[in-house]
Amino acid sequence: MPAIRNQIRELRAMRKMTQQELADQVGVTRQTVIAIEQDKYSPSLETAFKVAIALGVTLEQCFQFDPKAKR
Amino acid sequence: MSTGISYREKCLYASLLAELLVYGPYFFLHRQNSVNKVAGMIVAIIVLQVILQSIIALFARNRMTDERDRLIELRGYRVGYITFASLMVLGLAMLWFHSTVGHLQLENRWVGLHFLNVFFGMLVIADISKTATQIVSYRRAL
Repeated sequence: MPAIRNQIRELRAMRKMTQQELADQVGVTRQTVIAIEQDKYSPSLETAFKVAIALGVTLEQCFQFDPKAKR
Repeated sequence: MSTGISYREKCLYASLLAELLVYGPYFFLHRQNSVNKVAGMIVAIIVLQVILQSIIALFARNRMTDERDRLIELRGYRVGYITFASLMVLGLAMLWFHSTVGHLQLENRWVGLHFLNVFFGMLVIADISKTATQIVSYRRAL
């Protein structure tokens, strides 16, 4: 299980937002959004904040850190 | 779910194709290589890269690169450097071994070209390993 998990897919679905729309708002590629959603890539703090802002939630609502999990 | 292929990834596939198309015949088909062929190969790969990258850029809707692209690029360069450094150590060790045993005749006119090919080969292997690492990183979604 990855150390940093996220709720981006669920939050995006609630807002009926596509991966491309989120990527455009954050300033990353759609492939990066896919990698983040699949917990295969942990974004930088700056990108994480941008994702949270784009989804209209706080960073903690969007990303969760599990210190016991292994990367 | 389809992950698609990003602009950077397409460029990497083009680079790998160009490298294999140019370096492959040089190292595996020509027996009597020369300095002129090395120079010709460098020109050929530059021309081929420009053509392929231009075609990709022409049809690419989004040419954006982000932090993940830069991270993957750095990972590729790290692997390429480690490969090149390892091959250099191996090459120098073999040079030392052959010069010590006495099989290497440095006055031979082909020795210079032989060294050129060996060191150029090391660069080629390092470059291909760099590109391949980046492609694998994209396919594994990092």
